[in-house]
Amino acid sequence: MGLIIEKGELGTTTVYKFIGILDISTANRLDTLLEDTFGINTLIFDFSELDFIDSTGIGFIINAIYLSQEKNVHLKFEGMKELTHQIFETVGVYRILDGIQREGV
Amino acid sequence: MFFDSLTYNYQTNTQERQSTIDKSLQREINLARNIQSKLLNGKTPTFEGGEVSGSSLPARLIGGDYYDFYLLVNGKIRIVIGDVMGKGIPAAMLMILTRGAFRSAAESTQGPGETLTAMNQALYEDLRTLKSFVTLFCADWDPKTCLLTYANAGHNLPLWIKGKSNIIEELPIINGIMVGGLPKQVYKEHHIHLEEKDTIFFYTDGIIEAQNGMGERYKLERLIQALLKNKDLGAGEIEKCVMTSINEFTEGVPQRDDITMVLLKISQQKTDISSLNSPVLG
Repeated sequence: MGLIIEKGELGTTTVYKFIGILDISTANRLDTLLEDTFGINTLIFDFSELDFIDSTGIGFIINAIYLSQEKNVHLKFEGMKELTHQIFETVGVYRILDGIQREGV
Repeated sequence: MFFDSLTYNYQTNTQERQSTIDKSLQREINLARNIQSKLLNGKTPTFEGGEVSGSSLPARLIGGDYYDFYLLVNGKIRIVIGDVMGKGIPAAMLMILTRGAFRSAAESTQGPGETLTAMNQALYEDLRTLKSFVTLFCADWDPKTCLLTYANAGHNLPLWIKGKSNIIEELPIINGIMVGGLPKQVYKEHHIHLEEKDTIFFYTDGIIEAQNGMGERYKLERLIQALLKNKDLGAGEIEKCVMTSINEFTEGVPQRDDITMVLLKISQQKTDISSLNSPVLG
């Protein structure tokens, strides 16, 4: 099973829905995902159909947080499953998002 | 396309060159594996009143998991376990970087919280440049007071096996961001009192995420069962039993993540620490 990314746009908001597995075998496809954020004010990552995420996937999320700050885009997470939520909580993803959006680095 | 001796020689030479490069790369990877294995599975400290043991099994030839012990001059033992983002050679390189930072920080810091704070300070810029991070759990075991003091940088909580009962639970929660996540982090500490026959099981998530041929995961429940079943054995024996349990479950299916565990087992309370000022490396 791989990763499918569905993109949705509504005005200045772009939603990326991650379906499947976000791990070392799929995360390299995401490098270019956030290159072009022209005209985007809000970026939403929808994890409601994410089945598995490993450390490489977490690394992508952390980089996306930093990139969103550089590009002045507001990043939000939606559709958190219990397991994904637990992982984000344990490694500190929410606190990094909060810290970057509140204070920057 | 045509075939003549010139083309043939070119192809043969190219194949030979590629074969030589492959062999050379394989040899270097094996050397790197040996270096990592020796650094990871180095000397295990011995001390009165308990024992520690650790092992790591990389999913690929080399891995990004890390554990270490550091004997402090006050008789305490500092334990660290960590998981570097990614797999294989890149993760292994960062693991060596992490080891250096831990050894350096352990020497100059008072407790596990300070150690993680110093490590984040030392590694943050490099890890951000490389778009990577490492989760770490660090703990000081004090045989004199029977206190385990710990701090967490984004790692899963170790399991506390209470030897006098059939209870296994996670250590009381303490939060901290992964090393490399944000700069200027200060890691808080928490402590617990351990009793005779208690065991602390530190591990990386490769254990509970190990998969069998059906795609099922080993999960925390199976780990807890394996630990309960073998809790009265020594640290090294428990470690072997857990590994056997994982192997029986996975039935030889190649794993996606490294598997690492460290055990601290308390054998007697209120140890006479007069001999502990200079713990012995065995």
